[in-house]
Amino acid sequence: MTTRSFFSFSALTLVLGLSAGCASATLPQHVGEVNDIFAARNRRDLAASVPQDEKDWEKTAAEVPKLLSKPLDADGAVRIALAQNRDLRAAFYEIGIARGRFVQAGLPPNPEIDFGVRRPNDPAQPLQLDIGIEYNLTGLLILPLRKGVAEAELAAERLRVAGRVLDTAYGARTTFYTVQARRQELDLRVRALKAFQAGYAAAEELHRVGNLPDVDLATQRAAVESARIDVAEAENRLLDAREDLNVALGLSGEQTDWTVEAPLPDPPAEEVAPERVEQRAVAASFELQELEARMRVASKRAGLAQTEGTLPHVSGGFHGERDGFAWEIGGHVTVGLPIFDRNQGTVLSARSEFGAQRERYLATATSLRATVRSALNRVESAGRRARHYREAVLPAREKALAETLLQYNAMQVSVFQVLESQRQVTQTGITYVETLLDYWNARAALDQILAGRHRGLALGPAGAAPSNTPSGGGSAEAGH
Amino acid sequence: MDRRKFVQFGVAAGSALLAGDVFGQETKPGAAPSRPSPKRAVFPGGQPAVVTPNGVTLPLKEKGGLKIGHLVAMPVKHTFAPGLEGDCWGYNGRTIGPTIEVVEGDHVRFYVTNKLPEPTTVHWHGVILPNGMDGVSGLNQRPIKPGETFVYEFTFRHPGTYMYHPHFDEMTQMALGMMGMIVVHPRRPKGPPVDRDFVLMTHEWKITPGSRRPDPNEMTDFNVLTFNSKAFPGTEPLVVGRGERVRIRFGNLSAMDHHPIHFHGLTFETTWTDGGEIPVSARRPDTTVLVPVGSTRVIEFVPDELGDWAFHCHMTHHVMNQMGHGMPVMVGADARKIDPKVQSLLPGYMTMGQTGMGEMAEMGMPVPKNSIPMGGGAGPFSSIDMGGMFTILKVRDNPDTADPKGWYQHPKGTVADRADAAAMKADGIDPDARFG
Repeated sequence: MTTRSFFSFSALTLVLGLSAGCASATLPQHVGEVNDIFAARNRRDLAASVPQDEKDWEKTAAEVPKLLSKPLDADGAVRIALAQNRDLRAAFYEIGIARGRFVQAGLPPNPEIDFGVRRPNDPAQPLQLDIGIEYNLTGLLILPLRKGVAEAELAAERLRVAGRVLDTAYGARTTFYTVQARRQELDLRVRALKAFQAGYAAAEELHRVGNLPDVDLATQRAAVESARIDVAEAENRLLDAREDLNVALGLSGEQTDWTVEAPLPDPPAEEVAPERVEQRAVAASFELQELEARMRVASKRAGLAQTEGTLPHVSGGFHGERDGFAWEIGGHVTVGLPIFDRNQGTVLSARSEFGAQRERYLATATSLRATVRSALNRVESAGRRARHYREAVLPAREKALAETLLQYNAMQVSVFQVLESQRQVTQTGITYVETLLDYWNARAALDQILAGRHRGLALGPAGAAPSNTPSGGGSAEAGH
Repeated sequence: MDRRKFVQFGVAAGSALLAGDVFGQETKPGAAPSRPSPKRAVFPGGQPAVVTPNGVTLPLKEKGGLKIGHLVAMPVKHTFAPGLEGDCWGYNGRTIGPTIEVVEGDHVRFYVTNKLPEPTTVHWHGVILPNGMDGVSGLNQRPIKPGETFVYEFTFRHPGTYMYHPHFDEMTQMALGMMGMIVVHPRRPKGPPVDRDFVLMTHEWKITPGSRRPDPNEMTDFNVLTFNSKAFPGTEPLVVGRGERVRIRFGNLSAMDHHPIHFHGLTFETTWTDGGEIPVSARRPDTTVLVPVGSTRVIEFVPDELGDWAFHCHMTHHVMNQMGHGMPVMVGADARKIDPKVQSLLPGYMTMGQTGMGEMAEMGMPVPKNSIPMGGGAGPFSSIDMGGMFTILKVRDNPDTADPKGWYQHPKGTVADRADAAAMKADGIDPDARFG
């Protein structure tokens, strides 16, 4: 944490204290407003948590150490992210910024007092004193309109931040899935390496007793060394995935020692396609709701500008003048004439802003519908593929391995071919893991859309990512 | 599974083998052990009927001096040996087809019905007959279409040993087992009469372990070698009497290989080929007769040593069952340096053959369905680790009552056994002698 290098904690506390004293809402209240949105949607699992006292902003939420003390799961990762992710925390503060503007917009204009002193040229005359008070009546009249604009902006900001909550949860979940997949991939790469090492051990022994030429031994050795690279690359992918999750969860230091034990779960036996999925997605969309709110802002802003343009500037005041030995008291009214500047430009901008938001709304709705269909297709496709891998391809590979072993027993194939068949099982396992990752990412994306957010989804290209086949895969032939 | 368990499995499998039908399809469940057919002197000059081990003789009807037979070409479920069945083609429900046994001068009429999915013909291999009866599709006749029955009619003018097989798509039809033997007894036999007369047809097949259909496309890599379409231990032994004169007629319709058939415990003379009888002056004693592809050879001998005598093709790969090749040689390897690493991935794996392959038949390793890798059958002392074109000549004093499944009981002191240390020392034998 480098904050201390810029200002002292006590100074910050003082500033925050002053701020708290000035503002009518604090961070927990901002968070509470967003949590209320999710509670209304029966998604209390997406409730974020922050310290109740902003002075404790550096402290870790109590649930985080508990969640980190045992092997993580996807839900736990989401809980930690919602409590610990500082980007999300910053977004909540941005509600405070909008609220501050709202508060500011509701304040009446201040009166102005004017003092004047004049010395007449006639030395016999006493000093002449003027005093006046002026008040912006127009500002007072349009205050409700300004407040309305700021309130609409605050509402839009709440929706935007609620979307960020979903982003944070989605990012934590998918990054967690990636960690699971990368860990499984590493295990399988190690298993493939063991198969190559076993082949090399056999080749080494057969070479030692004069049954295998140098070229076959060298080929087996090359396969082992290539497989080591595959393992190292898989290790690196796992480490990268862990760091990505650390960022998503807002973890650092000793907190990064978390573990993950459970592998990616198999897909459910039967995928239930959500009904009326497009309508549900549209109804839930924070993006659309935010755009609606932005349209309201633009509309109110246009109304405000129009009012400001057509309403003459009116201010009034009282005036007192002491001329010699007596006071003269009077009043005045100042009226601006809306002849040239009737805020036409501002009105035009606000109306265009409204039109732009309306078109964005429709474009977003179109995009949303396409995205939800795409995610649903991906869930179904990846689910079918994953189930096919689990129920057909993997058993077939394992059956092929068992039959290859029988063929070995029958002296029809060599140990190298048996090991090659075993590696085929491992390779299929890797592809299955990639397909599982595709499936769970798609599930998370679909859930994300139905929860209200469709932008920023990482569905990726269809089909399992091509796995990095260890080179030397054909070296089973080396033994004969 | 460790070696001990493998051996235990092997013992169990061997017991099952002993309890089961080592002779293949002929024995019905619960039937009494088969016995050698008593001598039947049914042909001119007291010639006995031929015996086709693991086979049968074609029944012939006699009608007005005409002998009538019926061959049905058809798909056949065949057992090569216990554990190895094949989807073959043959005649009258079997491969090899029934042996045709006639007498010189017999006029015959053979109906041939085709129940195959493709046309066929029958060529009477080695028989001199009218050109239109020779059975070469396209050249001598039109092919017999599926469902058709053709009739062949001719006279066996020359005695001898012949064969029959298709001459339409012969590569496929013979590779799938369509062949049989023909014995034409002389009307007036010469030379010393024989007491027993056997026919053995050699053949070679390619059946990948785990599959059922012999591969007609195979050119060189045959892995099931048979006598009368049976591989040891499916081959039925030949039981003969000590001092009896025995004739064995060999025919070879293998696709590619000649077979040097080697006998233990006796010498013989080759008396006939499919070209006719060999003059006595041209005969010579042998222990191995080479039976070329497309030929028959007839040998005769009089065994004078009792016992169970092996005879087999002497090509060493022809006495193995379905053994593969292309694997690295394992002899000399230390399994302890290989097994732990492979078994960590595949618990069922075990390095084999590092001390040689002779004992592998006893391991009883689980193998693919419908396969008899390497083979081997039960012997009186241990497993006989040969398969394929291998069978046993059982020379007995009482052959007509001898149990063909029984083993020869050796007189005491006539079986090779472990040498006595004291006797070796007395004879100046040092088992630890070093050479080189």
